[in-house]
Amino acid sequence: MNPGYELPLEEAGYSFGFLDEYAKREVRRAILKAISIPGYQTPYASREMPMGRGFGTGGLQLTLALVGPEDRLKVIDQGADDSVNAVNLRHFVEMTCPGMDTTEHTRAATLIQSRHRIPEVPLRENQILVLQVPYPDALVVVESSEARRKTMHGEGDYARLLTRLYEDIVRFDEITIAHRYPTRIAGHYVIDPSPIPRYDLPKLHRAAALTLLGAGREKKIYAVPPYTDAEPLAFDDVPFRIEDFRDAAGRRCACARCGASDSFLDELIGDDGAKSWQCSDSDYCNEQLAVRNPQEAVHI
Amino acid sequence: MSETASLLDHQSIWGPMAQQRVFRCLLEAFSYPGRIQSASLPALLATLGDSEISLADPDELVAADDWRRLGARREAADKANFVVARGDIDPAFQPAIGTLESPEQGATILLRVRKLGRGAKLKLSGPGIQDAIKLAVGGLDPAWLERRAQWNAGFPMGVDFILVDGEQFAALPRTVSIAGEA
Repeated sequence: MNPGYELPLEEAGYSFGFLDEYAKREVRRAILKAISIPGYQTPYASREMPMGRGFGTGGLQLTLALVGPEDRLKVIDQGADDSVNAVNLRHFVEMTCPGMDTTEHTRAATLIQSRHRIPEVPLRENQILVLQVPYPDALVVVESSEARRKTMHGEGDYARLLTRLYEDIVRFDEITIAHRYPTRIAGHYVIDPSPIPRYDLPKLHRAAALTLLGAGREKKIYAVPPYTDAEPLAFDDVPFRIEDFRDAAGRRCACARCGASDSFLDELIGDDGAKSWQCSDSDYCNEQLAVRNPQEAVHI
Repeated sequence: MSETASLLDHQSIWGPMAQQRVFRCLLEAFSYPGRIQSASLPALLATLGDSEISLADPDELVAADDWRRLGARREAADKANFVVARGDIDPAFQPAIGTLESPEQGATILLRVRKLGRGAKLKLSGPGIQDAIKLAVGGLDPAWLERRAQWNAGFPMGVDFILVDGEQFAALPRTVSIAGEA
């Protein structure tokens, strides 16, 4: 977003949350149906937003339909509060929702919009996680016709998706999907959980918080309600497994900054080509740093 | 209060800020079925409805003023997106349950009951409920629960209920299974 750009609030009289009330009600009705049919991609009339589709307009429309002046919003991109997508979206919501508070602390947030990660700290009841989704349909890799995909979803027919996973095992001895791992919700619909790593999928399973997923370009909203089964597709003899971050010697890598060895790590390559690892969730990293080295802790 | 004043008043159920709060209560009610939330029937309709929806009111529970402000399309109960009905009498219609491909076209039924939190106890389980939760509902004809089970037998098709008394409501999405209790 152009840093000098400001919405002409006084002249045009934008409503709280930028979207007009008809747009909010459209999104809200779709959200309630999405919760009632867990994992079903509920179609909705996705609005044009003042940013390109693919920059999180689906997540943003969800956030704007939910948010009120009493909320504390956290926006993250790949786990960090300070990367460009997160900063832009947070700035936009701050500008259009006067009175609403923002935070970088997962525990303090009532509403969390995220791209590509679920926070490390387990979410509580009544916190809401909004995920930005580029490709909502897990079946798109095996069936190009949306009409046929809708029938397959309705019938719970995921045989071709399982075949695809099986072919991976035959060729590589491993299911090679690193993110967007197909996950079955409440025993029926299989969703594309957005590009979160496998590491985050167990956090969806019977979580205390509601997760809403919004695909603005594809005009779909779907949900994983609280206390709902979320099972990654797998086989009895090849169970689902997550990234384990072990080095060649079999030791679990730790974050070079805070020392945590229980978080999802980003690989960093230094100028000399040496590899190091750092927490992807910046709030979690700061929290661990404060616990382990109180002197070095960043005060924010 | 004049009508113009009440429309501009942000506390009015027709104002955007009140509707945001009511919606968050609805969100909580659907996320955690069986938990009782505060909002009246007109406030729920104002939050969910506009000229984009069709509404059926076979028992004439919606005031003429509210109809006018909603601007919703009048529709027969068998076809409407939203149906408002009395919970103390037998259901006299067959609501839309959607299709296999588009189950979201199943109706949302706002069912007027006498009292939530007192009365016959329903034991609920399903998505959104940790183990099981009990919801007491006064003034609900058991025929509704039988018909609901029939309408929701073919998941993903089905209907979603909002039970509402004077000032409170609770949601029963189609995924919730109900066992009656004495």
